[in-house]
Amino acid sequence: MTPHTASRRPFRWRPDQQWEGYLFILPSFLGFLIFIVLAVVMSLGISFSEWGLTGFKGFAGLTNYQQLMRDPVFWQAFWNTAFYIVTIVPLQLALGLIMAVGLNQAIRGVTIYRLIYFMPVVTTIVAGAIVFRLLLATNGPVNSLLASIYGVAGIPFSAPNWLGSSDFSKWSVVILTLWKNTGFTMVVYLAALQGVPKELYDAAHTDGASAWQRFRHVTLPLISPTTFFLFIFQMIGAFQLFSEPFVMTRGGPANSSLSVVQYIYLAAFRDIRMDKAAAMAWVLFVFIFAFTLFQNWTQKRWVHYESD
Amino acid sequence: MQLKRTMGIGVLVLVMALILSACAGIAPQAAAPAGEPAAASETTTITWAFWGSPEEAASHKMVADAFMAEHPEIQIEIWNQPWDDYFTKIQALWASGDTKVIPDVAFLWPTPRYAAEGVLENLDPYIAASGYNLDDYWPGLLESAKYQGSVYGFPRDIEVNVIYYNKDMFDAAGVAYPSDDWTWDDFLAAAEKLTQKDANGVTTVYALAAEGGKWAKWVNQNGGAILDDYVNPSKCMLTDPASVAGIQFFADLMNQGYAMRPADLNQAGGDAAVFMSGQAAMILQNTSRVSAFNAAGMNYDVAPAPIPAGGKRWNGAGGAAWVMSSGSDNKDAAWTFIEWLQSTNGGEKIYTERGEIFPALQSVANSPAFMTDQPPANKQAIITEAAASDVGGFGYFPEWGELSGSIIDPGLERVWAGEVDAETALADICTQVDQFLADNGYPK
Repeated sequence: MTPHTASRRPFRWRPDQQWEGYLFILPSFLGFLIFIVLAVVMSLGISFSEWGLTGFKGFAGLTNYQQLMRDPVFWQAFWNTAFYIVTIVPLQLALGLIMAVGLNQAIRGVTIYRLIYFMPVVTTIVAGAIVFRLLLATNGPVNSLLASIYGVAGIPFSAPNWLGSSDFSKWSVVILTLWKNTGFTMVVYLAALQGVPKELYDAAHTDGASAWQRFRHVTLPLISPTTFFLFIFQMIGAFQLFSEPFVMTRGGPANSSLSVVQYIYLAAFRDIRMDKAAAMAWVLFVFIFAFTLFQNWTQKRWVHYESD
Repeated sequence: MQLKRTMGIGVLVLVMALILSACAGIAPQAAAPAGEPAAASETTTITWAFWGSPEEAASHKMVADAFMAEHPEIQIEIWNQPWDDYFTKIQALWASGDTKVIPDVAFLWPTPRYAAEGVLENLDPYIAASGYNLDDYWPGLLESAKYQGSVYGFPRDIEVNVIYYNKDMFDAAGVAYPSDDWTWDDFLAAAEKLTQKDANGVTTVYALAAEGGKWAKWVNQNGGAILDDYVNPSKCMLTDPASVAGIQFFADLMNQGYAMRPADLNQAGGDAAVFMSGQAAMILQNTSRVSAFNAAGMNYDVAPAPIPAGGKRWNGAGGAAWVMSSGSDNKDAAWTFIEWLQSTNGGEKIYTERGEIFPALQSVANSPAFMTDQPPANKQAIITEAAASDVGGFGYFPEWGELSGSIIDPGLERVWAGEVDAETALADICTQVDQFLADNGYPK
């Protein structure tokens, strides 16, 4: 027993006190057991079964997974989701950081700007999607603006069909997602920026570092734990993208904007294939888990913690 | 991308099902006024599930009241949900297996999908026992509510797609009104005159606005087909030249600027909106638009759809059906209600009089309930199309929803967007359809 714990009582079961503690956590723990643990375990079981509306119909072994691997729509949804990840995550981090740096200055009305940029985060996605559907209509304001810009530049312009063509539909979803979520990234970055000690900037300034060098060698390393957090968080979010394509394009045209989670939803509730949906959910989970582990492993190379 | 946990997705499906079944128990609400005295001990209460807007629900309530007036021994409890929630919620009720919450009678589409899950009652014994007349249904219509040869539901209405045309726009363009036997060539000639384009060749007024989902009409009219068999398919027939030509006819209407592309139509608010605003001179649609156009006082009429030279008249026979739950605890009362709903002087008549449906029963269509003096004047056009109803619009096997929703319709969207021609898209679609059928063990 080390000296500083000598005054404490050694650990032992004290039913009179612990009983109450367990009682306090019981409601949420029960909820966790039923709605998370039980559901997760069951979904794994379902993915290896034949499972319909009324429940268990028989063991299926790997059949659901094999069917999935042969399903072209699943792969299309898979690559669409990959597209969402590689576009949304970097863009969101970059835009969020730029906005945060801009709004970290002492400018007049900065709170108003912060409010404006954060507003989409708390706006209903369906309302946002309706507005964006109008903005991105073939003869809508966005195309009119593009047409006039092209017109001034003298470049021939053919109006993109943002929602109705398989070349642009994914970009419409990306645009809506960025509008919706970048404000959150900005707020988290703002908090991180305000945690960077001012004396480090002063020191760098004294050493003759330019503004860019200060940003690159002081700001970026010091906010890298935040970047790491946001990266993981946004990547998982992009893996699980559902509402944005669901309300914006319904996954179309030609499944060109269908996300994996949307396909899980369709398999479960349109096709009543709970087994296939569960198998897809687990495939998705394995990918998310693997990517998160990989990120966690690479963080040594680029994430700087102050205590290091 | 709201707050999410790493593990969250693995449980999405189950958690939703659990939560839904937990919420469902409190959903039913009595159709009877609150002040009504408690039901006598011999009355049976059955739960009746349907989707619908408040206006539609008002018609349903009228039907329930009329039934209860005739059958005081049966009390109807209404369970009404909007379309977007209806299917997930009713699935959760059935999945619960609890006879107290399972609706006894429900409105449903597609019937075979649910019959295959074992949640629906086979109606054959009831039909045999009561001598219910199946011959009054439009040809091919009952097929959509059959599973493995047995009837599992009665379609309430039939989707009859006709051409609605704006008489003022035809007059202004100097085009004669459509005749009852007009052809694709007549249609194209009229379309060319009705379409208005700006200096850049962009269409400002379209001859036709039709949803992409209406494509099966052109295919079947032209002698094409989707599958070789609609109950037990063995192969895709969309690469058949007649099918390809049918799809290409629809695509060319869009490519030439005569018809609005479905994505644009969707953005513009749907066919009723563009027809009423004069952006389109014609629409191809079922009878559900009549009440809106009448309310708006439009100068319009309907005509049968044009058919190709050497082709045939064809209307896809399908409509959502009344079904009985196999988990119902009041099956006899449920049958009494369903039989009344689908009788010439029962529910069918009320829905038809209120303009909600074009009836599934021929006797009701030919009765004053439908043959009113309200527009459209050419009601015979609707009867003509309905009489040409047949299978061919969709499959009657459980996996059809997945096949059409994930492969066929998405594949065709590229044609409607003008990205590929019909032949290329259909070759691709058929490869996937054949693989899907093989994967799911067809032909069985």
